[in-house]
Amino acid sequence: MESGGFDHVEFFRALEASGARVLLIGRQALIALGLPVNTKDYDLWIHVDDAAAVNQATAPLGLVANYTPELARPRGRYVLENSERVDVLVARSVSTVDGVMVFFDDVWSRRERVEIAPGVSVALPCLDDLIVTKRFGARGRDADDIQMLEVLRSRRT
Amino acid sequence: MPPRFRMPSDEAVAEARALAERRLSAEEFNARVNAPLTEEERAEMLSLIDWFMRRYPTPAARLAQARQSYLAAERLRKAARGSD
Repeated sequence: MESGGFDHVEFFRALEASGARVLLIGRQALIALGLPVNTKDYDLWIHVDDAAAVNQATAPLGLVANYTPELARPRGRYVLENSERVDVLVARSVSTVDGVMVFFDDVWSRRERVEIAPGVSVALPCLDDLIVTKRFGARGRDADDIQMLEVLRSRRT
Repeated sequence: MPPRFRMPSDEAVAEARALAERRLSAEEFNARVNAPLTEEERAEMLSLIDWFMRRYPTPAARLAQARQSYLAAERLRKAARGSD
């Protein structure tokens, strides 16, 4: 168990065991791919039907949803929190800052899995899709992250 | 002796956070994404990525390091607050 009472490996283990369709997005996904950025939050994009499974799986870790799945779905997002904060997108599609609709099912179909610990893995959007998800929030640091992701992409090709 | 570090006020932190969290317009965002990188900036980014991936060669190691960095920063922040 980590100091602070939250074990990120157990968090990902619980998500995987739940069978929910969960994508790790945001800066934690960038870090997993190899970008040296800082963040304290976890950002997930989950299938619109899987919020209850995610909430049930993470409740033993002390994470509490600020909305029930029924209330979260029309809002498109909710938060799981205790001493940690997990921002959860729960939407069939999300619009980029340019108005392009991005569909969960499409991103999920192109996902990549990375191992977090022996026997524990999490799904990430592929690199191209991760770049697109950075256009959802459209903050300055999202733009900076896209520049770094583009550099990473050029390194891979 | 260098001046003692002082934590910024809660108001200053809140103001900086609000600026950082502001959603940009499509024009502002695309201008920032498409701002050309100099060769030096690009080389610096690649160098940082290469170092990070050499030092932490697996996703698991990288996520664990990020977590440890965050916890260390939290301890530092609490210690600095406590010494105000």
